[in-house]
Amino acid sequence: MERRRENQSPQVSIARILVEFLEVAITSIVFLKGIYPSDAFERRRYMNVVVHRARHPQLRDYIHSAVKGLQPFIEKGVVDRVVVMFFNNDNIPLERFVFSLTVSQSYKSNVEETDLEFSLRSFLVKLPVSESLSKVLPRDCRWEITAYFCTLPQATPSKEDLWIPTDTKQWDQPPLITPIKSLSSEPLSMQLYLEHANILKTTPRGN
Amino acid sequence: MSFNSSRSANSCGKSKRSNDSNSNNINNNKKLRKSNQKTLGMAWGSNSLSSSKSSSRKSNFTDFGSYMVEKNRKLHDQFDAEATTSSIIDSSNSGNKPLFHGVSIFVDGFTVPSSQELRSYMLKYGGRFENYFSRSRVTHIICSNLPDSKVKNIRSFSRGLPVVKPTWVLDSVAANKLLNWVPYQLEQLVNNMQKQPKLSTFFVPKTNLGLQEAKTLANRHLNPEEGCFLENANSQESPSCEVGESIEYSPEFKEETCIYGLAKVCEVIKEEPISAEQNLLESMTAEPSCSNLNVGEAFKSSPCKSSASANDCLGDRSEKSPSSPQIVGEAFKSSPCKSSASANDCLGDRSKKSPSSPQIAPSSNQRNSTLGDPNFVENYFKNSRLHFIGTWRNRYRKRFPSLPGGVKDGYSAVSHGASVIHVDMDCFFVSVIIRSRPELQDKPVAVCHSDNPRGTAEISSANYPARDYGVRAGIFVRDAKSLCPHLVIVPYNFEAYELVADQFYQILHKHCNKVQAVSCDEAFLDVSDQGLEDAEHIASVIRQEIYEATGCTASAGVAGNVLMARLATRTAKPNGQFLIPPEKVEGFLDELPIKALPGIGHVLEDKLKRLSIQTCGQLRMISKVSLQKDFGSKTGNMLWNYSRGIDSRSVGVVQETKSVGAEVNWGVRFNTLQDTQNFLVKLCHEVSLRLQGCGVQGRTITLKLKKKRKDAGEPTKYMGFGDCENLSHAMTIPIATDDVDVLQRISKQLLGYFRLDVKEIRGIGLQVSKMENADMTSQGHERRSLRSWLSSASGNMEERSHPSMEMTGGSTKHGYPNSDGDSSRLPKSSTGPLTRGHTNQTPAEASLSRVSTLPQICDLDMGVIESLPPDIFSEINALYGGKLSEVLKKNDDNDDKLSDSVIGSSRRLEGEITKGKEPLPSEKIHVEEITSKNKGKECRFQDYQSASTSAVGSLNLRTGPMGGDKYEFMPTSLSQVDISILQQLPKELKLDILESLPAHRRPECSDSALVKCPHDKVKVEKVKDQLEGAESVLRRSLWSGHPPEWVDKFEVSNNLMLNRIAEMYYKSGSTGSLSSILQCLISVLPFSLDASNDVSDNVISSLCDILQQYIDLKIKSDMEEIYICFRLLRRFTTKSIFFLQAYDRVLPYLQASFSENYGGNLNI
Repeated sequence: MERRRENQSPQVSIARILVEFLEVAITSIVFLKGIYPSDAFERRRYMNVVVHRARHPQLRDYIHSAVKGLQPFIEKGVVDRVVVMFFNNDNIPLERFVFSLTVSQSYKSNVEETDLEFSLRSFLVKLPVSESLSKVLPRDCRWEITAYFCTLPQATPSKEDLWIPTDTKQWDQPPLITPIKSLSSEPLSMQLYLEHANILKTTPRGN
Repeated sequence: MSFNSSRSANSCGKSKRSNDSNSNNINNNKKLRKSNQKTLGMAWGSNSLSSSKSSSRKSNFTDFGSYMVEKNRKLHDQFDAEATTSSIIDSSNSGNKPLFHGVSIFVDGFTVPSSQELRSYMLKYGGRFENYFSRSRVTHIICSNLPDSKVKNIRSFSRGLPVVKPTWVLDSVAANKLLNWVPYQLEQLVNNMQKQPKLSTFFVPKTNLGLQEAKTLANRHLNPEEGCFLENANSQESPSCEVGESIEYSPEFKEETCIYGLAKVCEVIKEEPISAEQNLLESMTAEPSCSNLNVGEAFKSSPCKSSASANDCLGDRSEKSPSSPQIVGEAFKSSPCKSSASANDCLGDRSKKSPSSPQIAPSSNQRNSTLGDPNFVENYFKNSRLHFIGTWRNRYRKRFPSLPGGVKDGYSAVSHGASVIHVDMDCFFVSVIIRSRPELQDKPVAVCHSDNPRGTAEISSANYPARDYGVRAGIFVRDAKSLCPHLVIVPYNFEAYELVADQFYQILHKHCNKVQAVSCDEAFLDVSDQGLEDAEHIASVIRQEIYEATGCTASAGVAGNVLMARLATRTAKPNGQFLIPPEKVEGFLDELPIKALPGIGHVLEDKLKRLSIQTCGQLRMISKVSLQKDFGSKTGNMLWNYSRGIDSRSVGVVQETKSVGAEVNWGVRFNTLQDTQNFLVKLCHEVSLRLQGCGVQGRTITLKLKKKRKDAGEPTKYMGFGDCENLSHAMTIPIATDDVDVLQRISKQLLGYFRLDVKEIRGIGLQVSKMENADMTSQGHERRSLRSWLSSASGNMEERSHPSMEMTGGSTKHGYPNSDGDSSRLPKSSTGPLTRGHTNQTPAEASLSRVSTLPQICDLDMGVIESLPPDIFSEINALYGGKLSEVLKKNDDNDDKLSDSVIGSSRRLEGEITKGKEPLPSEKIHVEEITSKNKGKECRFQDYQSASTSAVGSLNLRTGPMGGDKYEFMPTSLSQVDISILQQLPKELKLDILESLPAHRRPECSDSALVKCPHDKVKVEKVKDQLEGAESVLRRSLWSGHPPEWVDKFEVSNNLMLNRIAEMYYKSGSTGSLSSILQCLISVLPFSLDASNDVSDNVISSLCDILQQYIDLKIKSDMEEIYICFRLLRRFTTKSIFFLQAYDRVLPYLQASFSENYGGNLNI
């Protein structure tokens, strides 16, 4: 067993940790944005940080399966960004939480999982305090997880080919970016930032 | 009492009318005085917990359950008392049982005649009448009508008991015998219950069927505890088996069937006495000859006794049935275990009966069929002819073990003058049986599991008289019977087969040492050392001996190869031999229908027929090419060869076992996952035994399932699999196994993967492949050790490295003259260190040249090698013949040497690639190059680089740390450097490299690239990109170093503000992060405000420079840092014009790089 662990490429273990982290982080974001009543979540401890976990199995399942499905692609380093997108009924995005990922493919030595987890932990700490940066969402908004790939994944086994093209529209203007947290380490670089519609440029015209 | 109460409490959950109190244990001789049938509501209430509470309060019964027990007991008392008075059974005829003996009815709802009338019939004719439903006491449910809910849920309503119309009772009374209740089933149910009965149905004895209308032979007292059924057990005989057929709805069974059934009963009873008893009852009551007790009843007694009595019974019967057909005798000959095994085979016959007696199914459901038989798998295979043939080979190999090895190195049978004899027994499976029964000699005989003329058992072999009627192997018995009504059907006798097969092969081996066994009754002999005529003689001798030894005839074909010999045998049959000399091959094939060729089945035949090809002669007309086009290369080739009588197969090539498995596709029905798993366990056991039998182990375990198609009805063949989807899952494990536990674990896991309803499974197969020899795998550790793995690899390497060396050398030589016309340049470029590098190369170093084949040593990461534990290192080093340590030493000591060799090899590579890739453009370049050697060289390197950037990149990476002779290995420009790798280098190193590049070359290089390669724009752009990248690297140089360059610069600056910032660098802890510097700056900012007045453009631009470079540095990885910095800067802007100006100037750059990298603007 230990052997196998050792033989795993660092990318595999990174992806494993990352996927787990993303699941927690995305749930936290959804919780923070108040899409669902707070009763729909329960307090849990993850990496020694208080996080929230969805109670509703479907919600939990959606987040879990979406992120889990990314794991092989994260391993290969083809996932560029994972976006938690909040949009209104017209499919116009209101706010996007972007996890920008870079998993170094050339990294060969072993990953200190505890170090990595420690770094990721800071994201979870930072997330709740960055609530002020994000916008208040209207009541009837929806959300989804979208992944952006560097390249189109080649013909993958049908099992993983369950991706759905997103319906949400793009913003006309380049969005406003609000960085939340960046992690730059050898095997894994990750940045979490917010994207908002750039109304600064449109409002002057409207006025 | 309390026991009873708990029981009723339990049962109330299951059925509202079940009142399973065991009152019959208490007293069976009760009578019924009270004639009122209780309402259902009360019956229900009897089981409800709440009422049991209330009733217990008043009465002296502890609870309602015990009350009901008492009540039932009374009712029975009353009934029995009444029965003795009203029974019309004449005591004189004591041998006969009362008409309704053993029948116990429960009347549900309104009936015509009324329940009272029915009760009185029961009283009169020795039946029983239950007021309350009880699964254990009631045998038939009588009703005229059922509500929908009960029809839908018939199982829980009837608990598997037959639900019949009251007319059954009336008709039975009228006929004065117990009629089969099947036709009297409630119509509502008949439609519903067309489901197939489960396998266990067959083990449930309709055993008495063969025994009807016979005399009582023995009386046995049985079952003293269960007085209810205290009876004289009569063993009976049927003088003629055909009698059974005359009775409608009762299936015809030969005696042996019955006996097998009995044997089975024992098992069933052992398992579940109650339900077995129930089934016995059923079968008994289903009998028209109700007065006769069937043998099956004997087993009602006690479970432990039953098996013994079964044997008793068999003994009895065999003694006392002189008139019964010989088959019986045959059956008795076989061992007891066999007979019990055949039980499920003879089941096939019941097919007919069973669909018409659906209520058996529900009852047997409780035991879960296929699978109710714990030995199903075992028995299945015991009785499978295919299994016999399949496993025969193993027995054969064990018996003649010397064989395979000796023949393997044999020769090709196509060689000239080869002669092959094909010997095949004539209808082996039949003739072995009938040899001992001369009276069947000329009669049509077929072998089959059962001879039920209406059954769907398949004929497995038929003799020639039978074949004349059109009876063939594979057709159903019923079809065979209709083709040939007097067809005699005999069962298998596997022991005899085995015996004959052994004799057969003994004879063959006596005459020839090159025997290839095809099957138990078929073999090829290679007698090439004798002539064809001699071969013919041998064949006749062999046939004669076979006949003498076994009493069975064999046919032989003699020809020049395997194919022709086999075809010759076709003509020879039956009991003959045929020679096809080479010159007659063509003529023989001319008229041969294509179907006769081996390898041509229905599909291929149809395809060929569409091409209007019927005979081999016609097939020969078609060219090989078009055959291969139509049928694929392999099949086409085969057709072409076969139609010419060409067959390259040689005799005696024993095919290695590729897989071992077991598959059951008959009688597979499951109810729950547990059934399936139990079944799998058995199957695993079987497979494991087979693996061990073959002495092999396998690594891949495949589970195959047959899943009933959604729209598929029940198969025609009884208990067959019908229209199925074939599914399979496989798993490969690292170590070969034949272990039952491993197989079980994995097969269970595989089963889980299917995710299907077990009810839809119609067949299961488990197969193990990727075979390894069992004794070989025991040495597995040895084989898999690092040492052996490495040694084989290094062996390869050793071999390969030399040619690669030569090749490299060759290509180098080749490369140089070929590279271009400027031979004047060549000597110069390969002077000095280069030449040295080239000549100094050891084989290992040569391998660094990364030309096509790479010997292993250069693949080794020296860093890893160095850090290996000493013992492993020494092992590896030894494998490399000590070269490794040499290499390492060299790595350490002779950096420049190595670097030289790297350059040398890259040089050579360069030459080769320019030569190989695009001679034309490169030549053009070189023509121009002559003017400026340096530029030309660069250009060529660009060429080369674009061809294999990675190679150069890694080379450069290697050269990176070698500082010694920078100028030697970096004469080329920055464009040659792989920027991506450069960027990953540590800052200091990066700077080193950049600095070491001669500054004046940079612009030149880009110029030359632009000017000199106009024909290759893509490359130029690439080069440009790289240059830009390099520039950006250079531009970042302000932040490189420790402390960063700017700190020194700012320190020496005469601007106070810049001095402060530099100061802050150290104050912030020299982390190099701008945000921490700026944060520190906040504290001092108010004091430095005054300094903001003397703002020179120069100062601002220097601040902007470091900001811009910082953005460049961080934009990809750490936008948070940039964000923080600019938030801080913005805060400064309110206080300092200096910062405001710098901020305003950098902001557009910041936003530009953000939108470039992230497609958006930073929200500050």
